[in-house]
Amino acid sequence: MVEGKTIVEISCFEVWRRISDFVDDEVGPDLKQRLEFHFGRCKHCKALLDGTRNVVALIGDEAAFDIPRGASERITSALLQRIEEDARDASAE
Amino acid sequence: MMDEFQNGIAAGRPGSLRGDGLAPVMMGTVEPPPLPETAPRAAAQKVSPEELALIERIRAGERELFMDLVRPYQKLVYSMAVSVLKSEQDAEDVAQEALFKAFKNLAQFRGECKFSTWIIQITVNEARHRLRRANRANEESIDAGIESDEGDYIPVDLADWREIPSEALQRKELRECLHRAIGSLKPIYRDVLILRDIQHMSVAETAEALKISEASVKTRLLRARLQVRDALAPGIDGSWNSGSTTYKRVRSF
Repeated sequence: MVEGKTIVEISCFEVWRRISDFVDDEVGPDLKQRLEFHFGRCKHCKALLDGTRNVVALIGDEAAFDIPRGASERITSALLQRIEEDARDASAE
Repeated sequence: MMDEFQNGIAAGRPGSLRGDGLAPVMMGTVEPPPLPETAPRAAAQKVSPEELALIERIRAGERELFMDLVRPYQKLVYSMAVSVLKSEQDAEDVAQEALFKAFKNLAQFRGECKFSTWIIQITVNEARHRLRRANRANEESIDAGIESDEGDYIPVDLADWREIPSEALQRKELRECLHRAIGSLKPIYRDVLILRDIQHMSVAETAEALKISEASVKTRLLRARLQVRDALAPGIDGSWNSGSTTYKRVRSF
């Protein structure tokens, strides 16, 4: 009972199915409450939640996918050259 | 097949963008068809006015503006290529090739999806094509978790998770580990992860881009995230945090 309301427990398996939706805040209020209740009692699922959140944060971090120094300039330069060559080819035809 | 390319989407059919990762129309020098007259109106739904104006000017002949159009996506294109190829040099080549193909086929972009979605799909296809040519398609999968009868992914390790700080991303080995983990996902999971968690597209946008249901997006995203989490687990007992270069298994409860 929390504040006079009964919270129906859910299994760890069910938590695992919904953990990603929970991280994205895409669960309804009732399920959200049940999940939060579960995370407060189950250290395994709490660890899974923390790890999932951490992974989402790391993957979404701009630093995770930096272009190596010089690569951006090389790509741009090569691309411009090919576009110019393509224009010459098109005008020659 | 042409429609798939025009829409910049994956159709989920064998031999299509989603099936084997190759889009034949992008592998040759296919001349794009003339832009349908209805395209600008359709484009207005998904493409920003600024992008739309740029695209129209490029189509009208101002080729040099193409770099302005794709510059905001260069990092994403490169990241996608790295994720698939796991090689920075190959990724650079593929990024260049994918962007050039986007340029050559710009007339086929009808604005029925975001420009970024379209360019991502070109990149993924180009990278997979490169992977096949290099005969490296037999990449090791990190599908190490146990799949239950219901198809659920059961995490390999439920041990305590010590947060990996963002600062740790400055370390090349963590970034490479992330790239390897994402690159080793099966394509159906990887594509959803990239669109949702790297490109920050909504569930609905991802579903539209990949032509799958929103429920499938959520299911695949769950699996992808848990698998990447498992892949990073060996580093969570302190090696990512302390600067140690050795892997140590996490203590189990």
